Amino acid sequence: MSGRRNRKATALAVAAVVLPAILFFLSLNIGAYRIPPGAVLSTLGDAVFGGAGGPEPSPYFDILFRVRLPRLVLALFAGAALAVSGASLQALFRNPLVFEFSLGISYGAAFGAALSLVFLGRGFPPQAAAFVFAVAAVVAVMAVAGRSASQTVSILLSGVIVSALFQALLSLVEFFANPYALQSLIFWLMGGLGLATWGDLAVTLPLIAVGVTVLILLRWRLNVLSLGDDEARALGVNVGREKVLVIVLATLTTAAATAVTGVISWVGLIVPHLVRMAVGPDNRKVIPLSAAFGASLLLVADDIARSAASFEIPIGILTSVVGIPFFIVLLRRSGRLWL
Amino acid sequence: MKTPAVLLAALVAAAVPAEPGQARAPATIVDSLGRAVVVPAKVERIISLEPEVTRIIVALGAGDRLVGIDYFLRNHDHLFPLVFPAAGGLPVVSNPAQELNYEQAIRLRPDIIFSSPSEFRMTESIERKMRVPVVALASMGKLADLVAEIATVGRVLDREDRAAALTGFFMSRLEAVRRSVAAVPEDRPSVYLAFWGSLVRTPVSYEPVEAAGGRNAAAGLLPDRFGAAGATVSIEKVLALDPDVILVQGNYLPAERQVTVESVLRDPRLGSLRAVRSGRVGYTFGFWYWWDPALVLVEALHLARVFHPRTAAGPGLVPEGDAIFKEFYGVEGAFSALCRRLGCDEWTAK
Repeated sequence: MSGRRNRKATALAVAAVVLPAILFFLSLNIGAYRIPPGAVLSTLGDAVFGGAGGPEPSPYFDILFRVRLPRLVLALFAGAALAVSGASLQALFRNPLVFEFSLGISYGAAFGAALSLVFLGRGFPPQAAAFVFAVAAVVAVMAVAGRSASQTVSILLSGVIVSALFQALLSLVEFFANPYALQSLIFWLMGGLGLATWGDLAVTLPLIAVGVTVLILLRWRLNVLSLGDDEARALGVNVGREKVLVIVLATLTTAAATAVTGVISWVGLIVPHLVRMAVGPDNRKVIPLSAAFGASLLLVADDIARSAASFEIPIGILTSVVGIPFFIVLLRRSGRLWL
Repeated sequence: MKTPAVLLAALVAAAVPAEPGQARAPATIVDSLGRAVVVPAKVERIISLEPEVTRIIVALGAGDRLVGIDYFLRNHDHLFPLVFPAAGGLPVVSNPAQELNYEQAIRLRPDIIFSSPSEFRMTESIERKMRVPVVALASMGKLADLVAEIATVGRVLDREDRAAALTGFFMSRLEAVRRSVAAVPEDRPSVYLAFWGSLVRTPVSYEPVEAAGGRNAAAGLLPDRFGAAGATVSIEKVLALDPDVILVQGNYLPAERQVTVESVLRDPRLGSLRAVRSGRVGYTFGFWYWWDPALVLVEALHLARVFHPRTAAGPGLVPEGDAIFKEFYGVEGAFSALCRRLGCDEWTAK
């Protein structure tokens, strides 16, 4: 029995590494511009090893390195960020319904982008504004929770209140937006990876990398924290400090991702649950596997978004429309929510 | 869009005009939703929630009958205040969510309300609550439907002669543009349109492009039943389309543009595009809440010059545009003023 469990754990660990890598290379071959697989390899090879260029500049290089690669790298990082953030928050609050929306991160980011697109102009880009207000939303949650910030219910209740406030502010901005700016805002709110440039990623990726890495390193402590405050204290954990640390890291990763991708719903909720259904509630496995499967899920979703039709399907819509029924089916089959 | 232009035109023609000296009888109009609406013989007080219809009402010389208009034309349209300054004194009866302020509308005692066919439920709701004829009309981006719409509004307002003159002028000028580019031996360029403040949102149907001798590169991306709706594409799709010309919607104040010609030309991802390499990236007017009937003519002239520079003749786009606006609205220098407002002198004066 123990050998069988070990084999399963090993298989999952291998899958966690191999699956995103395989999907990444397959995704490099998917796109509106048809590039033969051989040309993908040779273009990559030429770029890495310095091949000879032809007399005419080939668009393959631009498409692979300036369009597809930034998009796929962002899908990997954003998927991992949203899933790890969701998994960490669920473990921390011992609540399976918690994800980035619960702490106001998503609505804070959306409100920031709205302010930028509608009122602030090009001087304050939506990505920067989204990040600033996502962080501001969580700071507001912590401030509202006040001294009881270490209490799960207080923080969640504050999150609901702050989310509602930012949602109302977003509606207010939409209401007063002139129709020209409103078009840009609606487009941003639908979420997407297609406009990412290396310039955007230069800021976003290090933040996500730091946040996800530290959260993975903290996976042991999340196990202790998920036992409950009293038990964690009895085991010598500074509960208040650890909670704030996890919330800050989850905010950092999600805000950095959302600032570039727009609002992509449900990844932070669905992926950790799928992982728990597969491996159980041990955060030592759940957190890293969530990173791997979150990255894989967003890669696949983005592949579908850009290749299922002659036009692009907004990925935020896709993750909701496809992800939720899929989740419901799995939930009914498993018959319970793991935490 | 249930009623094609042909049907609208047929129904307008079927509505028998009164003999001279004879009082007009109420007429039955079939609107863009396929609803048969009985309109009163005398229409003196109009609320228009559809900007395209409001523009036509003003062009028909019936602007003084407007008692309420929508929020967009009153507060945000760059052109309307230039051709109809009196709009500044008209009450706004809708909010940004396109909802009608019913109590205000009732107070204004309209004889008829024009609504948008995109707002089917609101059209029905207004008719039920206010017991006033409500006609849902818009071209939905189809030029033939715009012509039929002018005729229909002319019939409703008892301005058939003016409507006939405008539609005749419109069709003859449009036909002249088509003829001028039909004679050009070179291929029709493929054109990618970056509309609505985004590089990757594009209308799948934009008839001025075809009228001006171009091909919309995004045609066919969505089924025809979606009309002129915008499709969202990827940057990679734009690269795959590799258009000869890229046109950015320029009907924004310069400070409000999210996408500019410069940003397209400088975008390293787009460097391999034919349009970028040849520098054929520019602005175009586009539509907001469908057409202004004068501006769409100027748009066709502008595009013909962009696609086929050798066909450019006459006094230049700005004087021609001013003449077209004078014909429609009786206002001098309206197009020049619009150009100054949009900072488009450079891109239209070629």
